[in-house]
Amino acid sequence: MSRKGMNSDMNEIASRLVDMAKSSGAVDADALAVNDIGESVCIRNGRIETVEREDSRAVGLRAFIETSEGLAFASASSSDLSDSGIRALAEQVITMAGISAADPDAMPPSGADHPSDRELAEWEAGHPLNEAWTLEAAREAALACEEAALGHSDQIRNSEGAEAGFSSSHVAYASADGFCGQYKKSSLALSVSVIAGTGDQMQRDYAYSRARQVEKLESPQLIGQEAAERAVRRVGAHSISTRQTTVVFEPRMATSILRHLIGAINGRSVLQKRSFLAESSGRIVFPEFIRIEDNPDHPDGLGNRLFDGEGTRCRQRTIIDSGKLTGFLTDRYAAARLKSEPTGHARRGLTGDISIGTSNLILQPGEMETDTILREIGSGILITEMMGSGVNGVTGDYSRGAAGFLIEDGEITQPVNEITIAGNLKEMFGNISHLGSDLTWFGSTAVPTIAISGMTVAGQA
Amino acid sequence: MTQMNLPVAQETLSQMLDRMVPAGADDADLYLEQSTSESLALEEGRVKHVSASTHQGIGARVIKGEVSGHAYTDRLESPALMECARAARAIAEGENKNRSVSIHTGQPEHQLYQASNPALSATMPERKELLEKVDRLARSIDPRVKQVFANVSASFSTVHLLRMDGTLLSDNRPLVRLNISIVVEQNGKRETGSAGGGGRFDLNRLLEGSETERLTREAVRLALLNLDAIPAPAGPMPVVLGPGWPGILLHEAIGHGLEGDFNRKGSSAFSGKIGERVAAPGVTVVDDGSIAERRGSLNMDDEGTPTGCTTLIEDGILTAYMQDRQNARLMGVEPTGNGRRESYAHPVLPRMTNTFMLAGHDDPKEILASLKQGLYAVNFGGGQVDITSGKFVFSTSEAYLVENGEIKAPVKGATLIGNGPDVLTRVSMIGNDLQLDPGVGTCGKGGQAVPVGVGQPTLKIDEMVVGGTGA
Repeated sequence: MSRKGMNSDMNEIASRLVDMAKSSGAVDADALAVNDIGESVCIRNGRIETVEREDSRAVGLRAFIETSEGLAFASASSSDLSDSGIRALAEQVITMAGISAADPDAMPPSGADHPSDRELAEWEAGHPLNEAWTLEAAREAALACEEAALGHSDQIRNSEGAEAGFSSSHVAYASADGFCGQYKKSSLALSVSVIAGTGDQMQRDYAYSRARQVEKLESPQLIGQEAAERAVRRVGAHSISTRQTTVVFEPRMATSILRHLIGAINGRSVLQKRSFLAESSGRIVFPEFIRIEDNPDHPDGLGNRLFDGEGTRCRQRTIIDSGKLTGFLTDRYAAARLKSEPTGHARRGLTGDISIGTSNLILQPGEMETDTILREIGSGILITEMMGSGVNGVTGDYSRGAAGFLIEDGEITQPVNEITIAGNLKEMFGNISHLGSDLTWFGSTAVPTIAISGMTVAGQA
Repeated sequence: MTQMNLPVAQETLSQMLDRMVPAGADDADLYLEQSTSESLALEEGRVKHVSASTHQGIGARVIKGEVSGHAYTDRLESPALMECARAARAIAEGENKNRSVSIHTGQPEHQLYQASNPALSATMPERKELLEKVDRLARSIDPRVKQVFANVSASFSTVHLLRMDGTLLSDNRPLVRLNISIVVEQNGKRETGSAGGGGRFDLNRLLEGSETERLTREAVRLALLNLDAIPAPAGPMPVVLGPGWPGILLHEAIGHGLEGDFNRKGSSAFSGKIGERVAAPGVTVVDDGSIAERRGSLNMDDEGTPTGCTTLIEDGILTAYMQDRQNARLMGVEPTGNGRRESYAHPVLPRMTNTFMLAGHDDPKEILASLKQGLYAVNFGGGQVDITSGKFVFSTSEAYLVENGEIKAPVKGATLIGNGPDVLTRVSMIGNDLQLDPGVGTCGKGGQAVPVGVGQPTLKIDEMVVGGTGA
């Protein structure tokens, strides 16, 4: 294969795959070609522990065929990008589509609300692929980060290492209606994990930063200090007695609450009656001061995109407006069945069915400092770590392991662990009592501290 | 010697090895993998989605002391392969080992499963029919069944491992799985239940016989049961765990904490505890990757070490950690066949295979009868552990309140939390009914997912914290 630029290669392969599917009998098709490259280095105790390099290219095809009962489809992926590999993939998908049952509601990709050529060009010009770190620069950052963590306190006794890496991804999408778009993304990540205390009172914690540009990455020193402070303040944690109380989620933990919301307003889950919010479109599900947006083009987000996994143009959307759920998030199929417009939230891997995903999800912050929130609630638990996946998406029942700090008389008094927090997401959403002013980005999600009243905390004693 | 059909010429592999092994390297290998998988999914009564993937690639790895370099590519052509070899050796400066390896073929010690692709044992239309049968059966069991999701997948991966000394080992790894998930509805209230099974065998094992019917009935039973569930209690109480999949307790509470990497680095709550009591007398826990056809089994681990049975806890005393080659070498012990990687694109880590507790002598009925007031947990979803603090969780999917040895009411899913290093010291009764799980476990570590198994007999633990919302 000729060594042309990465752009034309990936676009061309995706388009060729769609053409191949059509000439093999598909009435409609779309394809993805993905090229990921990345390097990372892990430092432990001041020395290189691992160096890793990834280089992968793969394609995925979805093809629809006509049957007497309607359209049927199948999908497959392959890492064989040779001409014969691509032909074999197209033929495999057509054969498999012949086994799939027809779906009268099938929604082939052609005719989606695609961005125009001009929009594609403007997007590419406005979102240049950032210069990657060199492995050497990543190594220096990881070294500095770990050193800052280890040197922060003599209570830090061990390191699980600092890792720095960069990756870039180039995705090209083509569909049978002639649309062909691509986007490139690069990101850098720096993280460190350290252990405070010894023996039976060891506590581990971590800190990290991810960004699209080196300038936006948190400084290695600050990341190191944050990890060390987090680990040190957990030392001496023990369980507490069972109680009903207010639970305060620091921003890092609050991201999971948003994730549960997105799972519940996923148009596909709603169709399948697998959501506790299946009947809540247009209804109030949060207090009035809650506003949640999905922004596909945000300077701080890692989830920027011009079009979704089916080539549908992405637009800014208010998901929760003054506490009200504005509607479900959809791909073309879910939108057609729910009799609404596609919202541009189709997410697809190289193979497998379309799923639903957001771009940059933002829970708009409130105006209170965390200290003020703690004073207002008086007593409760501040959660800084959660474990397990005890969340039932059909009923909203929620029960997870947690660790954090006891809040007494408006102040943090002691670290706690070996506790669970439980409730029901529908009630938890309605019981959000406070929003912090500390909006914090975690990749493609931005959230402030949130406080939820009336949760059950279970512990020993 | 058999001539293997490799996707990369032996001379090229040999050249890569020559380029990537620096002087003084402790270990190096090339991991060449070809894998295919096929999946059929049913919803709304129809198999609407058939999908497949075909991937191949190579991972190059160099190890020197505590340091390792890992690179991979799925471009199996010369410039990309040599770049991959170069990147893997980037950890070490200086001269290359002056060597030229001659490749010789070895044999893994075990033949625990078939060497053929399980997808060949049943046509796609046959698999489609299987899913449609699940759908019909589920809906015929109870009119409250509103949604049936069923998925059958078959994968087959061929691994060729070329070690630093030129030994070339190959393993063909079949894996199949059937998942069934049900949504039931009654008076506007919805609930869900699921069941699944699988292992390293042919698909026709799922097609023939009664296993599919049993799993379908089980998923429907669980969903209906949950309709009547009351809130789980909150707080510390005695817990009886059923046999089989509840062995996820062992996987989370002690398994991860006994992996060699964490213990070499001193970051596990079990670090330095070999020879100490970590469980009640009578408790013996093993990790065994050499059980025929189990989901967590392998003929050899991903470094070519034969899998085997490692006793982790013997009669309550901690006896061993699970090791890959690097951590074993650094800790001065033998590798235990636990070096695993998700694929060529992932580095090797010490991982579990099939982890379970051996049977005791108690009658399971007597164990339940001895529970005055507490929770009887029969089935679980997932779990997680913080290996440093030792705290772990796992979440029930079928559990009952028990009073005076009698089952009172089913309770909603709740998370149980405990402390790994001492939870097993609270084991007061061990059933004689050891069971392994149905073949559904997937373990995550360092962003890598690998298939695993768990198991245990019925167990009574005198106190665990139950994280419900009830009184």
